[in-house]
Amino acid sequence: MPEVVIPIGPQHPALKEPVNFRVIADGEKIVRLDLDLSYNHRGIEKAAEQRNFIRVLPLLERVCGICSHSHATAFAKGIEELMGLRIPPRAQYIRTIIAELERMHSHLLWLGVAAHEIGFNTLFMWTWRDREEVQDTLEEMSGNRVHYGMNEVGGVRRDLSASQVKAALGRLPSLQERIGKYVDMVNNQRTMLVRFRGIGTLSKEEALEFGTVGPTARASGVDYDTRRDDPYLVYDEVPWDVVTASDGDVFGRTEVRIGEIAESIRIVRHCLENLPEGPIRVNAPKTAPKGEVLSRYEAPRGELVHFIRTNGTDRVERVDIRTPTLANWTSVAHELVGQNLADIPVIVAAIDPCLSCTSRLTVINSRDKKECQVSFEELRRKKKTTWAGGGPA
Amino acid sequence: MSVLGEMVRNLLSKPVTILYPVQKVPVPEAFRGRVRITAERCIGCSMCSLVCPSHAITMIPDECEVEFRGKKLTRKKRPGMKLFKCIRCGLCERHCPADAIQLTIEIPLPGTDREAVVT
Amino acid sequence: MISPVLAIIYIFIIPGFFFLFAYALFLEYLDRRIIARMQTRVGPPLIQPVADLIKMLGKEVIDPAGVDRALFDAIPLVALAAVMTAFLYVPVVGNSPFAFQGDLVLVLYLLTIPTIALFLLGWLSRNIFSAVGGIRAVTQLFIYEVPFFLALLTPALMAGTWSVSEIARWQQDNLWFAVLQPIAFVIALVGLQAKLERTPFDIPEAETEIVAGPWTELTGRRLAAMHLAFDIYLVAGSALVAALFLGGPLTPWTITPVWLGWIAGFFIFIGKTLVILLILSAFKAATGRIRIDQLNRIGWKYLAGASIVQLAIVLVMNSVRVNV
Repeated sequence: MPEVVIPIGPQHPALKEPVNFRVIADGEKIVRLDLDLSYNHRGIEKAAEQRNFIRVLPLLERVCGICSHSHATAFAKGIEELMGLRIPPRAQYIRTIIAELERMHSHLLWLGVAAHEIGFNTLFMWTWRDREEVQDTLEEMSGNRVHYGMNEVGGVRRDLSASQVKAALGRLPSLQERIGKYVDMVNNQRTMLVRFRGIGTLSKEEALEFGTVGPTARASGVDYDTRRDDPYLVYDEVPWDVVTASDGDVFGRTEVRIGEIAESIRIVRHCLENLPEGPIRVNAPKTAPKGEVLSRYEAPRGELVHFIRTNGTDRVERVDIRTPTLANWTSVAHELVGQNLADIPVIVAAIDPCLSCTSRLTVINSRDKKECQVSFEELRRKKKTTWAGGGPA
Repeated sequence: MSVLGEMVRNLLSKPVTILYPVQKVPVPEAFRGRVRITAERCIGCSMCSLVCPSHAITMIPDECEVEFRGKKLTRKKRPGMKLFKCIRCGLCERHCPADAIQLTIEIPLPGTDREAVVT
Repeated sequence: MISPVLAIIYIFIIPGFFFLFAYALFLEYLDRRIIARMQTRVGPPLIQPVADLIKMLGKEVIDPAGVDRALFDAIPLVALAAVMTAFLYVPVVGNSPFAFQGDLVLVLYLLTIPTIALFLLGWLSRNIFSAVGGIRAVTQLFIYEVPFFLALLTPALMAGTWSVSEIARWQQDNLWFAVLQPIAFVIALVGLQAKLERTPFDIPEAETEIVAGPWTELTGRRLAAMHLAFDIYLVAGSALVAALFLGGPLTPWTITPVWLGWIAGFFIFIGKTLVILLILSAFKAATGRIRIDQLNRIGWKYLAGASIVQLAIVLVMNSVRVNV
């Protein structure tokens, strides 16, 4: 077959959110691809500039459904640092518990989606059923299955009662057993091994060069986890380990994510058992002093960065969100060249893409490497394109 | 073979699906459901309207005598909330000093009037 | 030969088309239900496949631009006709009244027509996803057909006849071929799963890769016809494997009177095809999809190799029996 353009997206059963790959394939092998990311842009960063610190948190929570607590915590943490607030230990523990529960539900969701991408719907159904345990816990604690609304500047909004702690602790042992079963299954199931091993391999040097973060990088042996290397909340008080793998392929990423679920169970159990008494919030001032802060957080997909600039009012002047998925897209564009058509959904799913977080609208001319301000008219004509195999993005 | 064993075990046991609406879904106490406004307690401070992220609450002029923290005062307005703009974040409940607006555990049901206001 | 009245009842009512449609829809329900229960879900109710069929028949037929409408209408019907005809030659209540020497070859030929139909549909829809899907369907056909045919040839070799009904009858006096030729039985089941394009071999229809492959541009009554064709394909394929390896509708002893034999054979036939469906459903639920190049490797290395080994064993066994 001669070279054909196969449009994967913006609407495609393999993708959960709109992104446009135009894959140029020769038979079943991919030759080149064009990547277009701007389908989900909602102007949240601009909207955040018009809301005060109380009203902006629900907005930032809704950047992404799966990692909503990550965005809210990263922002709250940044503003608290600017204001010079120290939030009480009970609040730190509660924030950590919700953060790790969110990581668990995100990774379980990912495991199901990865199985679905290769047609293994049975594992999809089983992992999502186990995810319901985590969702029930989150609903009991925060009132909602997504968009937990636990954070405010100065602490958390709700306390955990003793019965909630007991119920959550009661669910952990069965989850731990199921995770053990999934490790077993993934290591022995022939079709998963055959579809995941050796696909989308990224060496350690390539992972560092393309700026990958999160489980994608840790699977290639990059030993970096923001929770350990730039600690926040209570991660420096709780015993836990960073999970890495050395394969750098999709199977390695599966191993890392399942390992992270096990570590999260450990962290949640420790925090629930050792929850300190005390207040859950401090009174925060209405305005923040002038300053800039870079708030880093390990979201389920990798390192999430919020750059916040304030100017002494009760709103931010600028918040810039660099999500982990944005950092990982270049590695996908690089890995896909030379692989089979049938591997596209697997490789794309392996970075755990969250397009809601990702969409950007800067225009970068990769030939001149200059950034420019664009007027609304120009924006309507242009769109962001990243070329793989052309120049660096 | 663990997959096959698990499959056979599942085949012989009940499914985990909750057959809603024939069976009830357990709703926890902390659930953030439909908003309920208790007008008798409202002191008209407008905090709920100021903190609502989606501008769903507007204050309706309404004179009433209320008792608040042992003192009697006359409130001038009370909240009216657009039911379908509410994102159930709970900020109004958090910032109300008189405990006059709460999120109940009722599941918010669909409706046909987009501009419906709850008072 | 049977009388024309009986022939009409056989072809159109039972065990002909009416029974065939009902059984095909019932097997689709059972397949979905068993898989759902294995996944801890509830699964669809009994009436679901009928409801799906009626709904599909009522939907709008969309013709993509520049596509040959007459061919698009005809091809699903040809596939449907082929599998329905193939079912007539499989023994359901005793011998098939239309049996003749060589009907095994005819049935196998008719059962390849749906795959060719998918390829043609993929080629005719002017759509890159369908084209890739159609090519994958034919590539898959080339890979599994050789081991599958060889696996179905070995019972014919041992029974010494080319008629499906007579192979079933041979097993009445001897052991079932599933016991005598287990390798061929396994290859036949794997080949049947690949023929029916069910996971792990649903490569032409891979939903997450190429939307729906050759099925992408089928809508309305065309989709209904093709869907029904593949349901009947499942029945015909299971019936063929049951007849060749599990003794068909016959028991190791003869039942008199004849009409009682027919009724017993009918229920035995249903029982055996249900067993095969259970195996195929478990196979579908327990695996993920493999890639076409991986199927290539597995098919030629293991399936074809095993079928040749089985053929050699059968030839040796045959000559031993003749000498003894």
